[in-house]
Amino acid sequence: MGDPLSRLLSALGLSLLLVTGAQAQQATRTQPVEGIRDNGTGYHALVGARVVTAPGQVIEGATIVIRDGLIQQVGSMAPPAGARVWDLSGLTVYPGFIDAHADLGMDQVPEGGDVGPTHWNPQVRAWFSTTRDLQDDADRRTALRSQGFGTALAVPTQGLFRGTASVVNLGDGGVRDRVLRPDLAQAIGFQRSFELGGAYPNSAMGVLALMKQTFMDAEWYIRAWDSYETSGRAFLPPETSEALGALGPVVQGAQPVIFETTSEEEYLRAHSIAADFGITAWYRGSGQEYRILDVLRGRTEPLIVPLDFPDAPEVDDPEAALNASLADLRHWYLAPTSPAQLADAGVRFAITSDGLSSITDFLPNLRIAVARGLSESEALAAITTTPASWLGVERTHGTIEAGKVANLVVSEGDLFTEEAEVRDVWVQGTVYSVTRPTQIDPRGTWRISSSDEWGFDALLTLEGPLNRLRGSIEVAAGPDVGEGGSIELASASAVAETGRLEVQFAGEDLGYEGMALLAGSVRGDDFYGWTSLPNGANPSFRGERTEPFQGAARGAIAVNVPEIDLPFIRPMMEYGVSAIPDQPGAVIVRNATIWTQGPQGIVENADLLVQNGKVVEVGIGLSAPGGAVEIDAVGKHVTPGLIDPHIHSGVSAVNESGFAIVPEVQMGDVLTHNNIWMYRQLAGGLTTAHVKHGSANPIGGENAIVKMRWGALPEDLKFENAPRTVKFALGENPKRRQERYPDTRMGTQEIIRDHFLAARDYEREWQHWETNPEGLPPRRDLRMEAILDILDQELLISSHGYRADEFLALVRLAEEFGFRVQTLQHGVEAYKIAPELAASGVAAVVWSDWGGFKLEAYDATVYNARILIEAGVVTSLHSDNSEIASRMNWEAGKLLRTGLTPEQALSTVTNQSAQAIAIDDRVGSLKAGKDADFVVWNGDPLSQFTRPEQTWVDGRRYFSLEEDAAMRVQIARERTQLIQAVLTASDNGNDNGPRSRAEGN
Amino acid sequence: MASNRTGTTRSFARHVLTALVVAAVSAAPLAAQVRMTVPAQSEPIALRGATIHTVTNGVIENGTILFNAGVIVAVGADLDLPDGTRVVDVSGKHIYPGLIDAYSTVGISEIGAVGVSNDVNELGDFNPNVKAAVAVNAESRHIGTSRSAGVLTTLTTPGGGLISGMSSAMSLEGWSWEEMSLEAAAALNVNWPNPNPRRFRRFNFGQPEGERPTYEGQVQQIKNFFGEARAYRDAVEAGEEVRTDSRYAAMIPALNGDIPVVVAADGAGQINDAITWAQEEGLRVVIRGGADAIHVADRLVANDIPVILTSTMAAPGRDYEGYDGAYTMPARLHEAGVRFAISGGSGSLYTNRLPWEAGVAVAFGLPEEEALKAVTINAAEFMGLDDRVGSLEPGKQATLLITTGTPLDMTSDIEQAYIQGRELDMMDIQKWFFQKYMIKVAQYLRIVS
Repeated sequence: MGDPLSRLLSALGLSLLLVTGAQAQQATRTQPVEGIRDNGTGYHALVGARVVTAPGQVIEGATIVIRDGLIQQVGSMAPPAGARVWDLSGLTVYPGFIDAHADLGMDQVPEGGDVGPTHWNPQVRAWFSTTRDLQDDADRRTALRSQGFGTALAVPTQGLFRGTASVVNLGDGGVRDRVLRPDLAQAIGFQRSFELGGAYPNSAMGVLALMKQTFMDAEWYIRAWDSYETSGRAFLPPETSEALGALGPVVQGAQPVIFETTSEEEYLRAHSIAADFGITAWYRGSGQEYRILDVLRGRTEPLIVPLDFPDAPEVDDPEAALNASLADLRHWYLAPTSPAQLADAGVRFAITSDGLSSITDFLPNLRIAVARGLSESEALAAITTTPASWLGVERTHGTIEAGKVANLVVSEGDLFTEEAEVRDVWVQGTVYSVTRPTQIDPRGTWRISSSDEWGFDALLTLEGPLNRLRGSIEVAAGPDVGEGGSIELASASAVAETGRLEVQFAGEDLGYEGMALLAGSVRGDDFYGWTSLPNGANPSFRGERTEPFQGAARGAIAVNVPEIDLPFIRPMMEYGVSAIPDQPGAVIVRNATIWTQGPQGIVENADLLVQNGKVVEVGIGLSAPGGAVEIDAVGKHVTPGLIDPHIHSGVSAVNESGFAIVPEVQMGDVLTHNNIWMYRQLAGGLTTAHVKHGSANPIGGENAIVKMRWGALPEDLKFENAPRTVKFALGENPKRRQERYPDTRMGTQEIIRDHFLAARDYEREWQHWETNPEGLPPRRDLRMEAILDILDQELLISSHGYRADEFLALVRLAEEFGFRVQTLQHGVEAYKIAPELAASGVAAVVWSDWGGFKLEAYDATVYNARILIEAGVVTSLHSDNSEIASRMNWEAGKLLRTGLTPEQALSTVTNQSAQAIAIDDRVGSLKAGKDADFVVWNGDPLSQFTRPEQTWVDGRRYFSLEEDAAMRVQIARERTQLIQAVLTASDNGNDNGPRSRAEGN
Repeated sequence: MASNRTGTTRSFARHVLTALVVAAVSAAPLAAQVRMTVPAQSEPIALRGATIHTVTNGVIENGTILFNAGVIVAVGADLDLPDGTRVVDVSGKHIYPGLIDAYSTVGISEIGAVGVSNDVNELGDFNPNVKAAVAVNAESRHIGTSRSAGVLTTLTTPGGGLISGMSSAMSLEGWSWEEMSLEAAAALNVNWPNPNPRRFRRFNFGQPEGERPTYEGQVQQIKNFFGEARAYRDAVEAGEEVRTDSRYAAMIPALNGDIPVVVAADGAGQINDAITWAQEEGLRVVIRGGADAIHVADRLVANDIPVILTSTMAAPGRDYEGYDGAYTMPARLHEAGVRFAISGGSGSLYTNRLPWEAGVAVAFGLPEEEALKAVTINAAEFMGLDDRVGSLEPGKQATLLITTGTPLDMTSDIEQAYIQGRELDMMDIQKWFFQKYMIKVAQYLRIVS
């Protein structure tokens, strides 16, 4: 009982009142009764309460008749004879709440791990059942009841495939009496459980790859067993996997999957994988739904959102304030409005207590959501009728009406707008006491005095909500206390059962070191008390209330944040935009020095004409269609948008290092738009980038090619119909992992070769099956299929490496298998094999002058690109660095000193870069028909003294100095307003607003 | 502004290109050297006909610079040259003082990830007695590449701990560190502790979270160390017999204000606290890092405290700061009246990028002559070397560059450098690999053609 929740619960004196109801019919129980039967009547009449029977429907002074766990009658009538009458005058009754995504703490991993034929991957625990393993934690049920919940979907939490979730009631009956709907849905999460072990997957894209493969395996598992059985068991059966067996109903669409998401990106990913595999999906949201309302609008899949509102960023000293980001400040301010925004957008949702650091934050946070715009009836629906219908218990749960299960919440006050207490919770006709009614209200101003030695006169002021009293004591000067003074109370509480008031305050101002205690009995406006002073004295006091409490009778929720107009922006951070820029029908850039990077070369005093996002022409004195956007570029230079064939920004993870060979993982699955680097890169003239998997594996994951469409969602960042490329890595990095093959460059070569051969074997097995479908059907293996794509040059190799030897080895290995390596990347020693690369048609993607940072980078030379170009190798620069990607023109400029012409130098970040990653049909030069991706510079783009002024992608202006300046003003204004809002909220004691970190978590 | 260089071929590269065809045909061996150290200046030399950027005395068109025995004798438009002067015609070229990197590890760090090749961080928190000079490897590859970029003087600087040791001012020419050393104990380096370790990780290497000492505790440690050092000095001065302490003894020039104390500090709070401390101690303080210097600009100006900026070619530290927050920092500091130098930001391996660190500031609003000062005279002044280097004036060392334009822009070339009057061999390892492998390319091109 050491954690805060347990302490709170024990302090609340929670107990099960021995009032039983639904001990149910003898005839439907399997367990014999031992000893004497316990048969209370189970017949109750709750009278006098304000009854909210359903969202938006209220009966004042109603009577609820309960019999055998069910509601028999609701209405304005006299209690029936024979029922036990409960006087609930002045109280409010709501339907019992339903938590559609509760962690009941039932699936701790057994010591020694799972046993039996479960699944090769310990993160795949689809076989786990919350019904079969129902042994949930009584403390959690008690905590959920304290917030009004009587029913929950118990969701397992371990692993990626977590097992099945079941609807249970939250009463304290035996395990056989609690399950309402067994194994309703399969639970899946994107965050692995470390305690389950296993090396793979250890990245976001690895998780998605495993999900895809597992869904496919589940489908295969059905077919494989089926062919085994229908063959009359004529051959050996397929492997046994309880997990794959359990996933059968999921892949057949018979059982929903509930995806737990921790960010808006995970929601998008879950939605996409569910669509790809035809899965019926539910979503446990992340609290970031307000950022993707446009996506959610119109979607009808169950969405269950948490109330996980963030703590205020630290702004209490100037330097801390300097470090507070707009992203954090906005999230702090807007997260509590997310439920209201969903409701306003017409998106149906349920609310869960899951995701809170303490379940007891649920009702306070729900009130915040209501205070920030969610209507009471929408709030109630989100925890009653909406989850009831999704969980398929709407005939028995969710409202107070005759025939439904007697799940009720009895509260003192309006639970949604006041600091109201849950008094009792009824679960299937059994009442559980949550709090006792407060019997005293000590708030107001008291004059207290004592004539004892060490006594003093004082004014004691108490305010705030009854369950969180605060106040001060102003001690008058006197013989024993010197100058006296006003002291904030360290604590104040009223004990309901005894009418006792207890306060503590620091004794320093009275001249004592330590705490002074004041306790006493309050009766009406009289106080009788005594103190314990740090000097050991115990003077007695008498007092009377001189002023009643001025605030509302009950602490109404204040919205402690000023109204701030924060327009929707995407991404929801600095420099986010409210919409992606328009694409004008025509754009003409006039009188610039235009570096076409194509056959036209560099043209002085030229015009660039763009229409509908495509380059039309570069020439002198072009005429433009009417209404064309005109850009006067006298003295300016215009180049194609810059291309970086190797970055790692804008993804949720970089390396899947769980296996040495992982081409099945895809960076395209884990792109994120919440990426400030993209804006900075745009500001530096970058328009296209190749987002690479990391270098932990000889064969890494599939890369993604993106355009810098700042403000778009991840899927829209992808370069349409881009070639598929895969990361390889040679040299030091892939052999870094101590316990994993390979450990040498020799082994790297061999493990790649072995997998090439394995893929060919896999292909033959399938071919064999297709001509002769006997025995077990082969399964689809995403890894092998990716490698086959590599061998067939559908998936182009883009290999990390430094030394000449390792590159040459890979080029020759590919040639042995009859294909070509597309690019070598980093290639610090590529110059040493320039002729070989030229002969084999391999492109080189290198740095300008990076080297020396590790042994294999020691022979770096800035002349690398020059030598490669002289040898006829397609040669590009790259950054491999989020920051350097924002200044690739200067990287190219560094090549001027190696003797390349300016046009050649710029080609290493434009046309040759496009060639290197096989997208030169679309981008890289300003040729008719190519994408209108271009940059306007204030001078020679290769000069250190030049800066970009505008960056266009797809004929849309995504960056300009003017808009950047305007956004800075807006950002500064919002940060100032939000920092003030945090300070205001903190000043107000922060009872009701989002809590600040300083308030002690 | 950069000139339009379309169609030009750079001098070194052109030379190689013509030479390599011959080499490929004759298979004559290349000279088996990367960079030859040259003898001391033995005769007066006059470079004539250049645009001379003196930095401190303006620009002289069609000027001549005369130097002898390593020291500049005269700079002007019309000089009388003594008999026996070797006159070099550099018409159409530009002459600049050699650039100075005020924060470098050239010579004491060779390959980043190869620990044994690095002699930067000594063990322990207090190492004022260690001097970088004695560990400088005169054969380091980075010396040649730095010179090719125009950097002829470095403040090679140890790191780690709270007091890292002494920066050594090194001339990048000589057979040994001894010959290269301009000032072995040029400046004492203090790493100001970090009150907010989440943001600026630079000085919190390797310590696990739980064991990390508090900010206040570390500040107290620094104060105490200086207090002990001062007591030691006073006792020695008073003629007391004390047991020697090489650490405290090494601190005396810094305590007496004879050499600067360079305090690494990036955050506004760090800089403020460092200044408060340095003033209490009465030190000649220079702030190094200065990412948040603009937030402390008024105080830096009021107390005339210079800053060595280490991250101008960098992304901003905070998302709301403009994408150009670091690029514009020098211009903003200049406008505010703060004196600053610019140093290589990325550490030892990349001292050759010093010109770009200064050049980027020009793209983003700093007057070009101020950028040049930031990598020449300002660095020299702050580090107490302005009597020897940092500008082209009589009496200073003839440490200079002959270029086709400003060394701060890649659109111009650095053609020749002199250090203390010695005409350098401009070969470096990168050019060497170029020569060697262009021969391979040429052989291959002959085969395929």
